[in-house]
Amino acid sequence: MKKLLTIAALTASTFTAQAEVRINGFANLIGGITSSDDTVYGYEDKISFSEESSFAIQITGDINEKMTATGQILARGEDDYEAKVAWAYMTYQATDKLSISAGRLRLPLFKYSASLDVGYSYHWVNAPRAVYDVEFNNIDGVRFDYSTYAGDWEYNTQLALGKITVDNDNVKFVANNTAVFSVEAVNDWFKARAVYGTSKVTLDSAAITEAISVLNDLGLTELYNNLAYENDTSPFLGLGLEVDKYDWFVSGEITILETEKSFNPKSDAYYVTAGLRLGKFTPSVTYENFDSKEYKFLDQVNALPLPDANKAGIEGLVRGLQEGSFNKHNVITLGLRYDFDTNVAFKTDLSRYDNKLNDAETTLLRVAVNYIF
Amino acid sequence: MNTKKFSKTLIGAALAYSISFLSIAEVVVVVHPSNDAALDAKIVQRIFLGKEKKFSNGKEVLPINQVPSSAARDSFDTNTLGRSSTQIAAYWSKLVFTGKGIPPKELDNDAAVLAIVADNPNAIGYVDSASVSGAVKVISLN
Repeated sequence: MKKLLTIAALTASTFTAQAEVRINGFANLIGGITSSDDTVYGYEDKISFSEESSFAIQITGDINEKMTATGQILARGEDDYEAKVAWAYMTYQATDKLSISAGRLRLPLFKYSASLDVGYSYHWVNAPRAVYDVEFNNIDGVRFDYSTYAGDWEYNTQLALGKITVDNDNVKFVANNTAVFSVEAVNDWFKARAVYGTSKVTLDSAAITEAISVLNDLGLTELYNNLAYENDTSPFLGLGLEVDKYDWFVSGEITILETEKSFNPKSDAYYVTAGLRLGKFTPSVTYENFDSKEYKFLDQVNALPLPDANKAGIEGLVRGLQEGSFNKHNVITLGLRYDFDTNVAFKTDLSRYDNKLNDAETTLLRVAVNYIF
Repeated sequence: MNTKKFSKTLIGAALAYSISFLSIAEVVVVVHPSNDAALDAKIVQRIFLGKEKKFSNGKEVLPINQVPSSAARDSFDTNTLGRSSTQIAAYWSKLVFTGKGIPPKELDNDAAVLAIVADNPNAIGYVDSASVSGAVKVISLN
């Protein structure tokens, strides 16, 4: 019966607009356990399924021939599966090559940003967190997607403009005037991608404001302004390369984020991954590195016309503020994906997390079931 | 696929290899008899990956897929699209969840595909060459 209906619908369709509503969804059930009592990505030495698991449903409705409305409701284990509206946007297909979306939508920060929550779309249990673990992935604003091709090459560009608001347990901030521009060139087996973003970020932290207020009291306004995270320009740069010869693939991404005039240290992150496709199995190895461990403004403190004892006190404050955000680690992961079906994959990743701040090495084992419908 | 020889040593791959060997089918692309659009392997690939929405003659294109369990699908994905069916599914999952594309409708078998293609001037499908009827136009991809 269903088949007959499909045939009838297809046959009847002469491309007049159909008031169609599509429902898709995905589920990622991920469990993990570490080798010691050190915590990695929230996992400890007792198995947990709530750190990275997520379930989502997405509804897309055709408003007319050129416009669609999309809503995605996502429940994350780390939020106690509280359902939240992750995306809500309308898309206008201006031409075959250009679409314009407005609402709450995904920022084109990384290669896998668009499908970051859809575990089925990549070979890892989760995308490499050294690069992908940023505080925000969505923007309230507008995004232009332009795609074209010439010969064997395809070119995809995305420009997102708008405002980002982050308000979670870790951090609260607002990023105004955000602009993220990405360009991707793809041929049969090669992909190169570059992204540049900029934003005016204001961090809302009473603790930081209070800590640095003493500098204002001392009349050290320049140092205060350098450390304060208030309406500061944050440029973001990323590059990605991929060679995918079907039987094997190698890819990597590198990102640099810096808010020069804030206490927040510059961070560099990259990963390199390689794998084989052996029938239904995809074994892979991934190396990730994250580094944000560089002091700023120490020269400026040293140059202050103050007694050494006072300078030492100020230097302690300046160092302490930055150290709170220091992080340096690398991760090596051996992974195996098994394609159970065209909508179900099983995965397991074994990772060695090497924390360079305290020289602690921790092993993390994760298993995942990814489902799409 | 010369590296497949190397992968045969592994059990999983050997299994997959024998399965795909068993299911090899001579698949041909079919369109409505009135369809005069220029079609080659590259264009067919772009159509079935959702990158091309119109034929060369400007008419809207309606790609018709087969269900993943069909032998024709396996052969079409591997030989014409150059990817396994699961990779194609992963590809579509990226587009579907970003609102950038809708995968082609899937029908159960050659007969269902032929019925649509014979009837709809916008349709393009693929079937086992043994199933082809006079009601459709066969496209050579070479």
